[in-house]
Amino acid sequence: MEFGIKELIFIFVAAMTIVPCFFVAFSRNILHSAFALFFTFLGASGLYFFLDADFLALVQLIIYIGGVLVLLLFAILLTRNIDNIRKTNAMAKNRAIAAGAGVAVMFCILIYAFVISSRPFSHAENAAYPAVTIKALGSLLLTKYLLPFEAVSLLLLAVLIGSLVIAGRLEK
Amino acid sequence: MNIIGIESYLIIGLVLFLIGLFTAISRKNIIGIFMGIELILNSSALNFAAFSRFSARSLEGQLFSIFIIVIAAAEAAIALALLLSIYRRFGDIDADKLDSMKG
Repeated sequence: MEFGIKELIFIFVAAMTIVPCFFVAFSRNILHSAFALFFTFLGASGLYFFLDADFLALVQLIIYIGGVLVLLLFAILLTRNIDNIRKTNAMAKNRAIAAGAGVAVMFCILIYAFVISSRPFSHAENAAYPAVTIKALGSLLLTKYLLPFEAVSLLLLAVLIGSLVIAGRLEK
Repeated sequence: MNIIGIESYLIIGLVLFLIGLFTAISRKNIIGIFMGIELILNSSALNFAAFSRFSARSLEGQLFSIFIIVIAAAEAAIALALLLSIYRRFGDIDADKLDSMKG
């Protein structure tokens, strides 16, 4: 097993994805959670680059960091006073214990299933895989997957109007 | 075995999913719950892309990832609009205190 600079960068990116997750889950301050989420999204984008999914990595950067995270920060700053933000992200004690136990059990079961599964997940290592995915993705989206594409477009339009209707009423 | 393989991606997706689940269940703040849901959606999109790269050797998995990301963004917009509306009406975003419907 060779261990070059690529593997080192992969381990770094994977750690950058996973470690901030624990801050998201356990931080008392919701702003810290949001900034930890930033590093998780950045790391996920790096993981997409390692999968040769260049378009997906860019989409991850643009939509998650540029859209969802900014929206999240807006919501945090609009809904809570900044001075009591230190205690804004409390956990429900009994639910946290139940969730922790459930998650631990699920983790053990899934790791066990992962270890005992004899079927190799990856095959055909050297089969053709396009170096640049944007063109192929675009033609797939407009031929074979045209109906889901249109449905998603309609969904986005509905979301646009719906969020305006829900959040836009400022006067009584 | 190569470390940049599907096994690493499956483990990363598993950890992301479980931490997201824990966050979504244990938080009181609606924004915290929402962060957990984002983590879960992120892990599923990552898994689709990993299987598309290593197992199927085709681009259709990435297409599903794109649809997941689009739906996550739509969900973010609607969830945060609802949250602002809830905050305006109740003055609080603690999920445990929103019990007018006695759920």
